[in-house]
Amino acid sequence: MTETEAEPGGYGPFAIEVEHLTKRYGEHTVVSDLSFVARPGRVTGFLGPNGSGKSTTMKIMLDLASSESGRATIGGRRYRDLPDPTAIVGALLESNAFHPGRSGRNHMRILADADGIDLDRVDELLELVGLGEAADRRVGAYSLGMRQRLGFAGALLGDPPVLVLDEPANGLDPEGIHEMRDLLRARAAGGNTVLVSSHLLSEMELLADDLVVLNKGRLVMAGPLAELQELATLVRASASARLQELLEAEGAAVEREGEELVVRGMPITEIGERAFDAGIVLHELSPHAGSLEERFLHWTGSPERRDEDGTEEEVQP
Amino acid sequence: MIWTRLVRAELRKLTTTNMPWAFLAVLVVISAINAIAVVWGTDFDGTKTFISTAADQQSLIAFASNATLIAGLFGAIAVAREYGHGTVIPTFLSSPRRHQAVLAQLVAVAIGGAVLGLVGATLTTLAVALALPTTEFGFMVPAADVGRVVAAASFAGAAGAVLGAGIGAIVRNTGGAVTGAVLTLIIAPPLIVQLISDASSWVPSALAVALSGVEPEAAGVESQASSLAAILVLAAWALVPAVIGLLSVQRRDVV
Repeated sequence: MTETEAEPGGYGPFAIEVEHLTKRYGEHTVVSDLSFVARPGRVTGFLGPNGSGKSTTMKIMLDLASSESGRATIGGRRYRDLPDPTAIVGALLESNAFHPGRSGRNHMRILADADGIDLDRVDELLELVGLGEAADRRVGAYSLGMRQRLGFAGALLGDPPVLVLDEPANGLDPEGIHEMRDLLRARAAGGNTVLVSSHLLSEMELLADDLVVLNKGRLVMAGPLAELQELATLVRASASARLQELLEAEGAAVEREGEELVVRGMPITEIGERAFDAGIVLHELSPHAGSLEERFLHWTGSPERRDEDGTEEEVQP
Repeated sequence: MIWTRLVRAELRKLTTTNMPWAFLAVLVVISAINAIAVVWGTDFDGTKTFISTAADQQSLIAFASNATLIAGLFGAIAVAREYGHGTVIPTFLSSPRRHQAVLAQLVAVAIGGAVLGLVGATLTTLAVALALPTTEFGFMVPAADVGRVVAAASFAGAAGAVLGAGIGAIVRNTGGAVTGAVLTLIIAPPLIVQLISDASSWVPSALAVALSGVEPEAAGVESQASSLAAILVLAAWALVPAVIGLLSVQRRDVV
């Protein structure tokens, strides 16, 4: 995921490649030397605490913001150099990028006009996202979830092979989240590139194939979700402190949770053998799937910070 | 055909909110005020000299100056609200070469401003024509001069809208853009004239009156620009902020 040695576009015509991206607002560095790749056929989750630089990175990808150094490309080209950008990239960046006095249908028709898309596609998508009946109502009367659905419909308008979605699940009800997840999974299965930022870590566990984790603008971890969620071993022992010391000395990562130890980096059989050799009685030795949230907090080194409504706040100029 | 697509989208933006109706209401009110002035208004001496000649009546229906101001506000609001509501984001995603998107906006607001000028001049002319029978005077303005008044209002409306749009693109805030348009079209010109008296013929309101073909005496001015000069200078008033706005959005972050 983090390799950047390949030629631009070397990951396929629709891969998103971010290379050594740095962005500052005044003295504040929002994104620092960030590199990663979001590949076609995969859903890439873009994770990080509030203010970690996810939205800014997405705006740079889409040429809505400039960067001090580095670059972000889609299929090896900057967004502004794509021949018909909205036919290649669909984006959802702001849940409130609508005129409140305009109907949802007219909002979509404006996008269709600008992108040269048949207006019949507008009705089709409004039905798809469940806004068929509300299409002629003012967007100002929509709930957050409905606005999110409308934004999502706008991202899908050109049937693009690349989707860049900033917190798309914000405000959606469980059914809406489920539908969106199915739709994004289906698009990735069809060979499309899907990059989704979210603070909903549990949602990422169900959605993402790959993860890119940011903290304070820096990449802290990237890779396939399955690898990042590596199985840990839960151990309960008579002399847990001594066992922890012993396993850590052998290179395992051990976290203490009360009397229980969560051990990573050492096969379960080896843990049992070492405890046996040391004469430590084990009361429990079982696989323990660490939640992504647990790992996320470990990577970012701080409790997750989020607003009450779950929206992200980033430093702006 | 990116241009056609973008202009069509911008025109749809302008026509799918309540803003055009609000401006139409303003035009109706202005024309009604003109009708009321014809029916009940008098000069200081109690006579109706102000509608007694064709030139006086043409001065009354000349809408170009109003068109510049009203369309200026229209353009400022139309563009600044794009930034306020974030709807400029999908616009710049469709057209990441931003000069194309901004030029499409300018074309669309110019069309909108021209329509406002045309409708305003037409409504005012109709209101005055319908009110005149209540007085001892008939409608005396020749059809050709009515046509000139309407054409001048359309051009002045287009220019005003482009001027306002330029300010909107620079300021990006609706309140600030409206203030900027008012400063440029209402407050700054008299100050400029006070500083440079020769500039009195070249401020937007004077240029609009000159375009309408109103005689200097009826307009209450000593000298006027020629029609061609008025067109060029009014266009310059519009294009200066438009070009600054166009340049200012090129690489600015959209936040």
